[in-house]
Amino acid sequence: MRTKALSAVLCSTALLASACGGGGPQGASGAGGLSDGKVVFGVLNDQSGAYSQLSGKNSVSAVELAIEDYKTKYGDKAVVKEFGVESVDHQNKPDVANAKAAELYDRKAVDVILDVPTSSAALKVADVAKEKKKLYFNISAATTDLTGKACNKYTFHYAYDTYMLANGTGRNTTEQGKKNWYIVYPDYAFGQDMEKSFSAAVTDAGGTIVSRDAAPFPNTSGDFSTYLLKAPTLTPKPDVLGTMQAGAELVALVKQYNEFKLRDKGVGLAVGLMFLTDIHSLTPAALAGTTYTDAWYWNYDLVNREFADRFKKVTGARPTFAHAANYSAALQYLEAVQSAGTDGSDAVVAQLEGKTVSDVFLRNGKIRAEDHRVVHDAYLAQVKQPSEVTEDWDYVKILLTIPAEKAFRAPSPDCKLS
Amino acid sequence: MLRIDDLSAWYGEARVLRGVSLDIAAGEVVTLCGRNGAGKTTLLRCVMGLHTGQQGLVELDGRPLTGQPAHRRARAGLGWVPDDRGCYATLTVTETLTLPPVVGPDPWPLERVYEAFPHLHARRNAPSTTLSGGEQQMLALARVLRMGARLLLCDEPTEGLSPLLVAQVGDILRQAKQHGVAVLLVEQNLHFATTVADRHHLLAEGRVVESLENSEVAAREQDLLAYLGI
Amino acid sequence: MVNFLQHTFNGLVGGAFLALLALGLAVIFGMLRVVNFAHGAIYMLGAFGAYVLLTEVGLDFWWALLLMPLLLALFGIAVERLLVARLARLDPLYNFLLTFGLTLILQDAVKSRYGVQSSPYDAPALLSGTVDLGAFDFPAYRVFVLVVALAVCGAVWWLLTRTRIGMVVRAATERPELSTALGIDVGRWVTPVFGFGIGLAGLAGVLAAPIRAVNPLMGADLIIVVFAVVVIGGLGSIFGSVAAGFAIGLVQAWVQALGEHWALLSQVLVFLVMAGVLLWRPAGLFGREEAPA
Repeated sequence: MRTKALSAVLCSTALLASACGGGGPQGASGAGGLSDGKVVFGVLNDQSGAYSQLSGKNSVSAVELAIEDYKTKYGDKAVVKEFGVESVDHQNKPDVANAKAAELYDRKAVDVILDVPTSSAALKVADVAKEKKKLYFNISAATTDLTGKACNKYTFHYAYDTYMLANGTGRNTTEQGKKNWYIVYPDYAFGQDMEKSFSAAVTDAGGTIVSRDAAPFPNTSGDFSTYLLKAPTLTPKPDVLGTMQAGAELVALVKQYNEFKLRDKGVGLAVGLMFLTDIHSLTPAALAGTTYTDAWYWNYDLVNREFADRFKKVTGARPTFAHAANYSAALQYLEAVQSAGTDGSDAVVAQLEGKTVSDVFLRNGKIRAEDHRVVHDAYLAQVKQPSEVTEDWDYVKILLTIPAEKAFRAPSPDCKLS
Repeated sequence: MLRIDDLSAWYGEARVLRGVSLDIAAGEVVTLCGRNGAGKTTLLRCVMGLHTGQQGLVELDGRPLTGQPAHRRARAGLGWVPDDRGCYATLTVTETLTLPPVVGPDPWPLERVYEAFPHLHARRNAPSTTLSGGEQQMLALARVLRMGARLLLCDEPTEGLSPLLVAQVGDILRQAKQHGVAVLLVEQNLHFATTVADRHHLLAEGRVVESLENSEVAAREQDLLAYLGI
Repeated sequence: MVNFLQHTFNGLVGGAFLALLALGLAVIFGMLRVVNFAHGAIYMLGAFGAYVLLTEVGLDFWWALLLMPLLLALFGIAVERLLVARLARLDPLYNFLLTFGLTLILQDAVKSRYGVQSSPYDAPALLSGTVDLGAFDFPAYRVFVLVVALAVCGAVWWLLTRTRIGMVVRAATERPELSTALGIDVGRWVTPVFGFGIGLAGLAGVLAAPIRAVNPLMGADLIIVVFAVVVIGGLGSIFGSVAAGFAIGLVQAWVQALGEHWALLSQVLVFLVMAGVLLWRPAGLFGREEAPA
């Protein structure tokens, strides 16, 4: 830390900003032009663990597509001529995320960090962004704290959050008449947050939480049979089993849900958070009929599909909503730099705040100035019956569109940006 | 039958045997005496092939055992009677007796073993570690007799036994000797040794310092006891 | 009451996996004094192997149940001959590190080929229904798992206590040096026993494939619990490891069924039990002193 502070002092006193460019920290403000002649994206996410499929390395490809589109659009008039993409594995560990984020901003001359799944890690990176006065678009983490008590001037929450998931799935399922819920959630920050959001949404829509169970996390045996045995024996019998498990645990729970034949026993399944890659893992047959809230779906319309085709050419897979959101965030960042004529953080933030936007990912999108929540249309999705699946990866149908202004919560009073 | 020539052994850097040579003929009982740490047990372990740091010659019936693992040596006719009596918590008495393969021309059938050791028969289905010390010693001896071993390597078989049992051990060894079985016996009890042995070797600091016929012992008893530190 | 019986039965099924894994660990530890850290990775390979056999070779669950334990046992034999045996004379820590490294290699190899997302695998059609157990229905596949685990544990018990091979293995396990001096070629049994233990882990993996998430990390957390089970049962005690496996499965199921605030306890319970057992009886419940088999 001491050498960093020292070099900052040297830079400012010697008034030799250009000479300090090589690896030294960059000033956050900018009176025009680019800090170091180029824009560098830092994709910080899980590249080896449970979340490496839903975002992971393929998010880097999504960012590269955005760069490509920016170049095509602006050609010679582009403010940004040179680009860089740094990609780092944070292993879903908050301390690693913290250290890597600081390294990206300080040593790799990264202008904006993208992605960052795992809520605890995402919150750490928000602190770093605030301290370094550098931009941070969180895509893959769910916690509403990013736009609540942990919000800050340089952090934007882009794709989804627990409120959006609970409001979409919890409210709509309850309103369809499935009023009695049994909620099973993993016993850590994300799961507890999800449980609270779902309970609130269900109760608000006139439903009842019959019972709730915290499952051990991590669940070492990968077994959820205790809760599945319990579900039909509760009184009143729940209409829906709401699972807040994610990734491999969700896969295990759904397998066992089918094994215990709960659907035949009248207990439906609602999933808190699910990605396209999860459905691919389980096969649509295992999840047929399950409803959940999606932030974006690749085969929703021709615009999405065109992007999905480009993405598949590069990666061999269809994009999850996290991939599309990474693309969108990178693109909107570049647009803001283009308008501002500089990559100085404050100028870019000023461009972004309050902006209404539409692109492949953002429909009726708006970057809220109050809490930096990026709001956009969300979708209530249902997994198709196997017989309805005619194309690989085309596993869901969109039941309804939840308009942007209803999909997300109102700005929280906990959030104080400045 | 057994010939040891210029045998040396080490524990790491420490040399515990320094060029030991001795012979045992069929039907002969030879004792190794000496203070604790003189190298007696190490010598037995070298013959059995359990000690890795050794050099020199060990021959059985003119065939060198050098480099052979312990289980081959057992199959060649060596009978191991360790100082801890070698019982198993997970094996019954019968299993402990029948565990080793039959290796000699003159093995005791199990029935004969139980006839000779009725105490063992009474406890035949108990884990062998639950036997009393004396019974465990009988078991260890009975086991090598059942194998039909031709050379017994006995490490202090009388230690901690009552005089009655010591006498019984003596009977067993003399019986075996009559059948042509050779015995290399590590023994602190000089009096007991003279009742069964033909010859005695006195070991000190890894060397054979004195070799006596059994008939010579009586005359030299005081010297020997001094050597043994008794 | 019916609920209690259901949870009890379900706990036995969970315990079946722990028992199979602990049994394999125990025989390996007993014979080689090697704590096989790779046991969880082998379990994962068993499950993944079933998936690969189905999707790439076209062999169904029943073939996997037969082939994977055998293939993995062969793999175990190769590992023992090529790697473990070379370190046998050194501090046991070296073999622990070896198997730990092997775990990372196996996990990452599977990860790089198939990714970390879970792979789909279904129960065979024959067992996809439920069975009427009198008081309640239960998924047929889980009943099958319990029957297989009990049969395997029973067969191993019979083999160990009622046959000469078992007697030799017990002797070699308890006192390797003494047994060599009594004419037993202990080394000859080391390799097959290692392969057998590995095969058991593979069997547990195949059994897990239809009801758990099949992914490269599925054994990574589980193995820690299995270690605790083996310690509770008494290191190297065959009977103890099986009994402790079923007991921990039962207790976990009961505690989880208590309700929302018991999740944390059900997770740490096995380690609390382990600590308690170690304080009370350092050799484990069925440790060496009075282990019957």
